[in-house]
Amino acid sequence: MKYLSLIWKNVLRKKLRTGLTVSSILLVLTLIVILTSLLQAMQADPSGGRGANRLVVQHATGLGNFLPLSQRQRIEQIPGVVACSPETWFGGVYKDDRPENWIGQLTADPDIYFDKIFDDAKIDPQVNAEWKATRNGFVAGQKIADKFHWKKGDHIILKGTYIPLNPDLVYIGPYSAGDEGNIFFHNEYLNQSSWFGANKYTGLYYLKVDSGENVPRVAAAIDKMFENSDAPTKTLTEKQFQLQFMEMMGNVKLLINGISLIILFAVTLIVANTIAMSARERVTEMAVMRTLGFGQGHILGFILSEAVLMSLLGGLVGVLLAKFLFVPALVAAGNKTSISAWLVNFRVSPQTLVMAFVVSVGIGILAGFVPAIRSSRLKIVDGLRQVV
Amino acid sequence: MAIPLKYNLRNLVARKTSTGMTAFVIGLVVAVFLCVLALVQGVTRTLSVTASTRNVLAMRVGSQAEMQSVITRDQAEQIQSMPGPERDASGKPYVSAELISLINVARSDGKTFSNVQVRGMSPIGLACRPEVKVVEGRLFNAATNEAIVSRNLSKRYNDMKVGDTLKTGSFRWVIVGLFDASGSAYESEIWTDASDLQQQTKRNIYSSVFVRLPDSEAAARFIEAIKGDQRLKLEGKTERKYYDEQMITGDPIKALAFIVGFFTAIGAAFGAMNTMYAQVSARTREIGTIRALGFSRRSILVSFVIEALMLCVAGGVLGVIFTFLVFNTFLTKPTGTMNFRTFSEVLFNFRLTPQLITAGVVFSLAMGAFGGFFPAWRAARLKIVNALREM
Repeated sequence: MKYLSLIWKNVLRKKLRTGLTVSSILLVLTLIVILTSLLQAMQADPSGGRGANRLVVQHATGLGNFLPLSQRQRIEQIPGVVACSPETWFGGVYKDDRPENWIGQLTADPDIYFDKIFDDAKIDPQVNAEWKATRNGFVAGQKIADKFHWKKGDHIILKGTYIPLNPDLVYIGPYSAGDEGNIFFHNEYLNQSSWFGANKYTGLYYLKVDSGENVPRVAAAIDKMFENSDAPTKTLTEKQFQLQFMEMMGNVKLLINGISLIILFAVTLIVANTIAMSARERVTEMAVMRTLGFGQGHILGFILSEAVLMSLLGGLVGVLLAKFLFVPALVAAGNKTSISAWLVNFRVSPQTLVMAFVVSVGIGILAGFVPAIRSSRLKIVDGLRQVV
Repeated sequence: MAIPLKYNLRNLVARKTSTGMTAFVIGLVVAVFLCVLALVQGVTRTLSVTASTRNVLAMRVGSQAEMQSVITRDQAEQIQSMPGPERDASGKPYVSAELISLINVARSDGKTFSNVQVRGMSPIGLACRPEVKVVEGRLFNAATNEAIVSRNLSKRYNDMKVGDTLKTGSFRWVIVGLFDASGSAYESEIWTDASDLQQQTKRNIYSSVFVRLPDSEAAARFIEAIKGDQRLKLEGKTERKYYDEQMITGDPIKALAFIVGFFTAIGAAFGAMNTMYAQVSARTREIGTIRALGFSRRSILVSFVIEALMLCVAGGVLGVIFTFLVFNTFLTKPTGTMNFRTFSEVLFNFRLTPQLITAGVVFSLAMGAFGGFFPAWRAARLKIVNALREM
């Protein structure tokens, strides 16, 4: 620690160079923070990572095939099932079909949905009660509600696509959860339509199981029960259900991870190059220090700490800038474009910030190593003789 | 008078490690940028390659994808009887009423699943699309639960080779042929007979009606005719427009390319700037000498900017080579991403076009110009006396 001021002096010796290096570290780290958060937003988990003993029952053939409502009662009788709500993807158009107005629209059974199934979502009990009582009411994820500036009592009209119905819905209030990209309205509403599934079919069943141990048993029991029926089912945990969308983007995920790795490697090289340049310019100086009695370990330590200090600086500023400047600016810009539906669940988690910070220290150590070892191994005589 | 280029070249070579590393970093950045752009290019091409302005898709008003649309048998028959479509040798119009469904199938890695679009079509459906050819096996027959799949799809998923039985939930199909759709979006589909699919899905409806017309003016007239028919309540779109609208699938990736390109380019340019500043300060006396020999400040400025450009273009070329290597070793198979309009997987190939290569080189030049200008400015402003005195 007592050498800190010496190291700090060295870092500041060429302010411009240090500034440029630190800037490239912070730019790259900002990018890593953005990419990581983007991946997390893509796999937005409704339970916020806690996993909540929830199962999703879909038609074994695939989404877009419907399940008979008669299955509900039989599912509810399976021991371990706390509650089961039919859920249908409405897939309507809000305002116009520009992607920035895209909203996930789902129907559910309001009497049990937030009380017994989606019970880790935060919703004001007053809002929940009012939603139950309002046949044409809907609740929306906080982020969606904020995005469209909905106030209680606002009416929205959705234009049905595969379900020939244009619901006129009243906004009741928000809920907050891991995934805030959806709105929910009453299953009952669909039954007014001339859709072939009205009163007969549902897209999915969403259900809650009493304990984690019972989850696999219940899932297997449901699939077994309907195996030979007209509508065989495929029961997935909530996480697996989300993953199937993620898996379709599988290569995109790989791409993002690949990009992150390559640019981290590139920034390490940039830092290493800078450190090597400074070390080369200071060969004589270091030889003098060695003659004064500083050991090889000292020299190694000095150069390495210089690299780490620079990366720390870059990391710290990068993380702060990412959190408070770049990410909000990008989200604001993105919300005006077709990618806005992607940004609903986009947030920078503390874990991501910590990760970025650790990575920046890693960059420093990796980048400082080769020049540090090289300088420490240099013979004093050679160092003194070298003309730069 | 200009300073010879050889001077810059030799200087770059003389400090191999630092210039080499800088060029390498720029190469990496260019490669990343190109890979993302090639992905966008791949998706866009898949959705546009054969989409024609003379083919019309009729769907329910407001439908963004065939999946979302519902057309009754009556409506389909009305469209079939409308005048305008091209006819085959026997006088049958090229009009195909089609039903779309999604099925969940296992990828050939056996671990992951994905949603694939199944298209049930009228017997004339294949003839409506001359760009699609059966390349192995034969066409499906009606009322037999036979299907054909694209060659790309059969490589990516289980049970999709000729002779296999594809099972998913209560659906069963015998695969009797493979087709090639010239790289279009149809390459991501399974094709079967419409009434077979109606039976399997228990839905006595269609999703869309595909109509082939003689030319794009006839197509425009046909679209007007659909719109004008009050009983029909349907909407027509040219095939081109329909797929253009789906290109938003590429938008997030495009945004990604922009963000990644922006941040990495500035980061790498800072790296190049550092290298160039180091060059300038190491060569201060040299610069003083050159000035003393009579070269102007402007020559020095130009010379150093050119040096930075050379450095970065070397990086750019390296980046293009990296990208080629990556494409020819890891990305030879078609890859997929989700089409957000249809919730199904769309297959595409990464495409490195000459325009993209040019873009990559220009991108590296931009980094060079940005990274080189300030150091060159400093070099040009050195006072001869001070520069010569420098140790």
